[in-house]
Amino acid sequence: MAEQKHITAWCSIFDNKVVKNGTQLFDAKSVGINEFVVAVYKHLQVQYPKFYKMDNLSKLGWLATEVLLKDNFDKSSYAPTQVAVVLANANASLDSDLKYLESVKDGASPALFVYTLPNIVIGEICIRNGFKGENTFYITVHFDAAMIHRQVSETMDHKAAACICGWVDVLGEDYKAVLFLVETNKEGIPFSETNLKKLFESN
Amino acid sequence: MSNGEYTDAPIYVAGAGIICAIGNNVGECITSFEQGTAGMGGMTYLNSLHKELPVAEVKHNNKELVVMAGMTASTSRTALLSCIAAREALSDAGIKNIDSLRSGFISANTVGGMDKSEHFFEAFAVDRNAGRLRNVNNHECGNITEMVAEQLNLRDQVTTISTACSSSANAIFYAARLIRHGLLDVAVAGGTDALTKFTLNGFNTLMILDKEYCRPFDDTRAGLNLGEGAGYVVLVSEKVAASLPHIYCRFSGYNNSNDAYHQTASSPDGTGSYLAMQGALKKAKLQPADIDYINLHGTGTQNNDNAEGTAITRLFAPHVPRMSSTKSFTGHTLGASGGIEAVFSALAVKHGYVYPNLRFEAPMKELQLTPETSFLKNAPLRHVLSNSFGFGGNCTSLIFSKA
Repeated sequence: MAEQKHITAWCSIFDNKVVKNGTQLFDAKSVGINEFVVAVYKHLQVQYPKFYKMDNLSKLGWLATEVLLKDNFDKSSYAPTQVAVVLANANASLDSDLKYLESVKDGASPALFVYTLPNIVIGEICIRNGFKGENTFYITVHFDAAMIHRQVSETMDHKAAACICGWVDVLGEDYKAVLFLVETNKEGIPFSETNLKKLFESN
Repeated sequence: MSNGEYTDAPIYVAGAGIICAIGNNVGECITSFEQGTAGMGGMTYLNSLHKELPVAEVKHNNKELVVMAGMTASTSRTALLSCIAAREALSDAGIKNIDSLRSGFISANTVGGMDKSEHFFEAFAVDRNAGRLRNVNNHECGNITEMVAEQLNLRDQVTTISTACSSSANAIFYAARLIRHGLLDVAVAGGTDALTKFTLNGFNTLMILDKEYCRPFDDTRAGLNLGEGAGYVVLVSEKVAASLPHIYCRFSGYNNSNDAYHQTASSPDGTGSYLAMQGALKKAKLQPADIDYINLHGTGTQNNDNAEGTAITRLFAPHVPRMSSTKSFTGHTLGASGGIEAVFSALAVKHGYVYPNLRFEAPMKELQLTPETSFLKNAPLRHVLSNSFGFGGNCTSLIFSKA
């Protein structure tokens, strides 16, 4: 019998605002994505120099995870293999692919090349937090709450006790991240397709 | 035994097949080892601007491979290589009643039908109505496996694993687990990869291709040479093994570990490789001193050899077993390398072969590890460890033991 799953936190980074559990934490008006992600990073006051090497997709997903887990996630209560990550977006790593293609003209850049896969953002999140559970990245045209619900349930019914899931998408100046922390046997919003959809659209 | 029930019963290697730059079959490869003939050279079949880079090509054009594989003319080189090696492995195993057994094909690759897709895009990039769609039909990695499984009539479990350079090592141990869980009796397992512009350009971007022939574990190493090929073992259950006239060895240990350090590099202290080797030993219920030969991942890059060497020193010193990188002959065949090297390892256990590590002159300063440089026969090898470490920190070690 599958255990009760709850959304114990959610976070969105969209339209130059950072929102956690419905409360706005930070905003920076009229700056482009490059400046905005650095502003959020500085606001968080964490030391992680590798952040600056990441592409925008990884920066966005990494920041959203930092906010999502801050103050409410007890990493020590899970084994590394018990924490899964299931993400999706519409544009894969196209933002970095195009920048990489541009760089090829003057000698291809290895630093850009390593980000020409969408699931690298999951890698950055896992490296940061030491997560070693199952992880999957899906490409869907729109946020597909049913699919995310199905895939997260599948991994949590078999292996994972916690899962970070949601949407991280970047293309040029357009970006949106909405992440959910799903845990078993914890208080929160019931983990359902309807609630995922509702929270996603509320952002 | 019912389906899905795990058993610790031994798994055996009953057949082996290879095609790569040093031979079209197992026998030709062994001859190349004996003669010290490496497979790398100038580019003949791959159509790339980077002619300055040595590659280890299979010495046949696609037309010839089509005849050898008995497949249609439009088939991807990846599938042609796979079919040739997998068929050799199956026929080598000589399982007479295979149709009455549950048989699977677990095949790894990383490029899929990319060779044909590249061909398609030459025309398509110029004119959106040009290019033959049949060339992109089998772009996906899984299609390569499906096509070959059909050719070989392996039907009960057909799946593809793609985890970079550890792909086919993972395919082999996944196949063993299917047998141990009573889901299969026989599995042809390994992998295939053809050279493509896509992979050559990718590795070139990472600046890890040597313009000279690669020098694994040497202090002057400057990168890897890409190769191509396919390698498969036939794994069988204890019951099937008992009915066969010959087997190579027991497949006794396996482990996959990830150091989660960097997208394309191992952690400098080789944590992932250490955990993989240690885990495989534990699975095989062996101590480090039981390993008599290590078939290294040994790509020849600064990072891999340093990390792998560090992990080996940590696990085995002061009694470091014989070791060598057969990539000094075959080049790095990526998704095929774990399969090709599993075949070499199985043959090593059976015949006491230790393969030479070509072009080795001076050990890495910080490690003092000296690989074997001559071809040995009849060495007393009880257990052989084969390493395959991939991008993303995906590290796999396999152990083959005297039956």
